[in-house]
Amino acid sequence: MNLRLSTGPHYLHRESTQTLMLDVIIALVPTTAAGIYLFGSKAAWVLAVAVASAVICEYIFQKLAKRPVRIMDLSAVVTGLILGLNLPAEAPLWLPAVGSAFAIIIVKELFGGIGHNFLNPALLARGVLLASWPARMSVYFMPTRVLGITSAVPAGPDAVSSATALLRPQGYEVYDLLMGNIPGTIGEVCKIAILIGFLYMLFVGTIKWHIPVIFVGTVALMTWLLGGDPLKAVLSGGLLFGAVFMATDYVTNPMLTIGQIIFAVGCGILVTVIRMTKAYPEGVTYAILLMNIATPLIDKMTSRRVYGTVKKHA
Amino acid sequence: MRLSFKGGIHPLKELHEGKDKSMHKPIKELVPEKVAIQVDMHVGAPSQPIVKKGDQVKVGQVIATAVGNLGIPVHASISGAVTAVTNRQMLGKKASAIIEITSDGQDEWVELHPLGDVETVPADKIIQQVKDAGICGLGGACFPTHVKMSPADDKKIDTIIINGSECETFLTADHQLMLEEPERIVNGTRAIMRAMNVKTGVIAIEDNKMDAVKTMTDAASGREGVSVVVLKTKYPQGSEKNLIKAVTKREVPSGGLPCDCGVAVFNVGTAAAVADAIMEGKPLVKRITTVTGCVKEPSNLKVRIGTSFQDAIDFAGGFTEEPGKIFAGGSMTGIAAPNTDVCISKANNGIVVLNKKDSVVKSPTGCIRCGRCIDACPIMLNPQKLKELCDAGDLAGAKKRYIMECCACGACSYVCPAKLELSASFKEAKDKITARGV
Repeated sequence: MNLRLSTGPHYLHRESTQTLMLDVIIALVPTTAAGIYLFGSKAAWVLAVAVASAVICEYIFQKLAKRPVRIMDLSAVVTGLILGLNLPAEAPLWLPAVGSAFAIIIVKELFGGIGHNFLNPALLARGVLLASWPARMSVYFMPTRVLGITSAVPAGPDAVSSATALLRPQGYEVYDLLMGNIPGTIGEVCKIAILIGFLYMLFVGTIKWHIPVIFVGTVALMTWLLGGDPLKAVLSGGLLFGAVFMATDYVTNPMLTIGQIIFAVGCGILVTVIRMTKAYPEGVTYAILLMNIATPLIDKMTSRRVYGTVKKHA
Repeated sequence: MRLSFKGGIHPLKELHEGKDKSMHKPIKELVPEKVAIQVDMHVGAPSQPIVKKGDQVKVGQVIATAVGNLGIPVHASISGAVTAVTNRQMLGKKASAIIEITSDGQDEWVELHPLGDVETVPADKIIQQVKDAGICGLGGACFPTHVKMSPADDKKIDTIIINGSECETFLTADHQLMLEEPERIVNGTRAIMRAMNVKTGVIAIEDNKMDAVKTMTDAASGREGVSVVVLKTKYPQGSEKNLIKAVTKREVPSGGLPCDCGVAVFNVGTAAAVADAIMEGKPLVKRITTVTGCVKEPSNLKVRIGTSFQDAIDFAGGFTEEPGKIFAGGSMTGIAAPNTDVCISKANNGIVVLNKKDSVVKSPTGCIRCGRCIDACPIMLNPQKLKELCDAGDLAGAKKRYIMECCACGACSYVCPAKLELSASFKEAKDKITARGV
């Protein structure tokens, strides 16, 4: 009889990195479906290229670097999908390809692979695309569905009366903001779909409520204090998508709940400030990235009292 | 209201903690043909064998005497001839000194010296009787019970907790004991309370054993100072520090013992053994052990100390399929057995057989900082950070972050989606820190 010897625990929880990533993908299904419904097949192509590029780049890099190939953990799929959802449907297909390659190779793998990147790969890739090709990245189109055009014909210039819905949220009804009948990136427009994904992740325990709720709540509160419309501020731009799917990235936010609260409040303040000063049409990407950078510091400065001890360890 | 503590997990929730198979199986007694009794079962110096090959012994006869302050004697668990006094590989790291006895089939006891009823026996005689009976903590720690019952003069104990939480997966031995023999547990509780001059005795049981709550409440009714509390089903509820927090809201100070916060904790099985020692004069020669997993008839066995795993498994009907791993205890902290010749010690509350498929160890991947280990830690440590420090060899840093407080419950390893061996690393680091005096 050949018995295996190992230390306990001898049974582990069923959850693995792969199942967690799968749950995020499931949570992104409503948003993905809404994006494709609203923007048509162009959106589907952008998403497909983003995901394929992310997975292929990860595979090639890990092969070349002689690391174990871990594409089956699905984290590259999540990165690619989130990046794709952050792009305009009219983006040329080289944009998602380059973006995903940057996210995976530069931001993730060169920093040591999964878990070692200090910035969210999809976010930084979006930030880099935004800075490199601002004209292609910050011009948003009205969903083709709204214009009554079902083919993938590029929307005419009159469809883009402003760069983003954010600059004129007063121009849209709350219903349209919720349903996604506004210009924006593929994933950010349909708030209902994002909320369904959020509830799914809460229900299966993928994420906790703190970061999204406090992030969005801070934006609402600050906007109200500064005389804006909190509801429209919450429903405009990439705030909900960012708060639910990007600020909650485990790797790049603090470990302790108290740290996550600080992180979320920081994100909320930065978004409001960037939006108010109109330095960029949309502040969510840079706000989260800045708080990603602050995460090691927050982790260092927060602690909790260990059982049986009196003094806090700083 | 269900008492509880912060942190912790609910392991194998989808399998009812793995307890279904053996739950409510009546206790069956197993008297084996041969036993191999370790003399180093308890915490403290191993006992000194006083028999040699060829000696005839009766059940309950002392075969090894206590050594040192923490020492307790060891007794023959079957009657017959001593067939070997030697060293043999058991569950410990190194081979253990054992005394092997082959049965004469008589199961004849030595003359017993009961003290009498727990309510009337002189309180000052109880502790010596407990020591002479070779009783140590039957929950798994095997700390000598008489030592726990004799705290230093400056430690004032006001509460005794009798631990019936049985939070470990797969085990149902304590549960069945509470169902079948609640009187023994309550008698033992009263004996301990009287010996330690403590007015409050609390029997703590998790809410997945409400039938045991009822039997224990009935048995405790009318008994002075004894009450039953219900705990939330959560792991590691039965770990001393967490149990004390849940029941009394107190915390054992860092580096201290339960007596430093006025509490002493005893397992229900230990309490029952104390009752036997006082009322019947019987030393600890048997205990209840759950045998479950891939065996034909998962059971709760009353086994003699020194029964081999093979005998216990055969008594439970044998394997249902080829075993891949066998461990002593529950799946969270159980110790894997190298073979089935190892024997049941006083600490051994369960034998769990896994098949080949469930024995596969998943290889670890990278930490994704999900924070599940932090939520799981019942001691409020930061396992993620500690693992980083341990991997980097920074033992001083780990110590500064209270790694020595880790209770090795394994909750962090259980929840880790990257399958990192967190608690195993911490145990290794703690051993190194102790050995090198970092």
